[in-house]
Amino acid sequence: MSAVCAALASDPVLAEHYATFRNRSEGALDPALVALVKQAVATVHGIDAAPIDESALDEGTRAAIAYARRMPFEHTAITDEEAAAVVAHLGEPGFVAFSVVTALADAECRAALVDLPGLAGA
Amino acid sequence: MSTTPRVSSAIAGEPAHFGSVLAHQPAIAESFFALYGRFWGSDVLAARIKEVARMRNARVTECGFCRNVRFDKAVAQGLGEEVLDDITDGYETSAKLTDTEKAVLKFTDALIHDPELLNGDARAALQRHLTPAQIAELGLGVTLFLALAKALITMGLEPEAMDRTVLPTPAVLEAAE
Repeated sequence: MSAVCAALASDPVLAEHYATFRNRSEGALDPALVALVKQAVATVHGIDAAPIDESALDEGTRAAIAYARRMPFEHTAITDEEAAAVVAHLGEPGFVAFSVVTALADAECRAALVDLPGLAGA
Repeated sequence: MSTTPRVSSAIAGEPAHFGSVLAHQPAIAESFFALYGRFWGSDVLAARIKEVARMRNARVTECGFCRNVRFDKAVAQGLGEEVLDDITDGYETSAKLTDTEKAVLKFTDALIHDPELLNGDARAALQRHLTPAQIAELGLGVTLFLALAKALITMGLEPEAMDRTVLPTPAVLEAAE
């Protein structure tokens, strides 16, 4: 369970709304890509995560993972070319979902790092 | 940072902006607006406090759109420009921000920038000023503010120029319930 979902345990309605948004965002992408994005972002944050073996990944997926790694601390430096490579791989609807999922993965790592569930008494 | 959209509008006749781009994924859009309306509609945490955190996030993440939007509910709760002007580095010494707002800003900085900022004193201050339920709602808000600002920026949806704009506070649409 994510740190945000855990923190919202005392507000089931808001928790359900958040879970629905999160699940629909992730559900719009290949589950394997979602897992790789979360793993890549968690690694950047220093949260325990196994390194990604990129040897078996196609070029488009590698570009998406490289892009995801930039989200935590370099989001304003991502170039048009880097974005275009992800759009070419996922298509525009896929890029929209990817942008939301990647940004949310970053924010959820950060919520965990400040111990949001502990602060919220969950 | 690009101000050229990296994805097109999914709504015919509309330029690329957050809503028209999110329309590429209607299920995501519907769930986001339902969540965001529910979040802002909840009075567990005052809209003024939520807006203080949102504005801090806007300034740190360099989201020009977020920075220039004001939500009317917070304005009605007394969050004027003279207070917002103090939501900058050095806010700790502001005479216009309340102690609760300063604790919220420290939490916001910790979540969006450096978790080490939420040291023992800052953590205790947050828990002294807010209930656990309020902290949960604040944490959700900062998570969404940060994620949406970054999504907006990386999709190239930053406006080249934008006037300060007061908007109706997001609300739950009856049809979405």
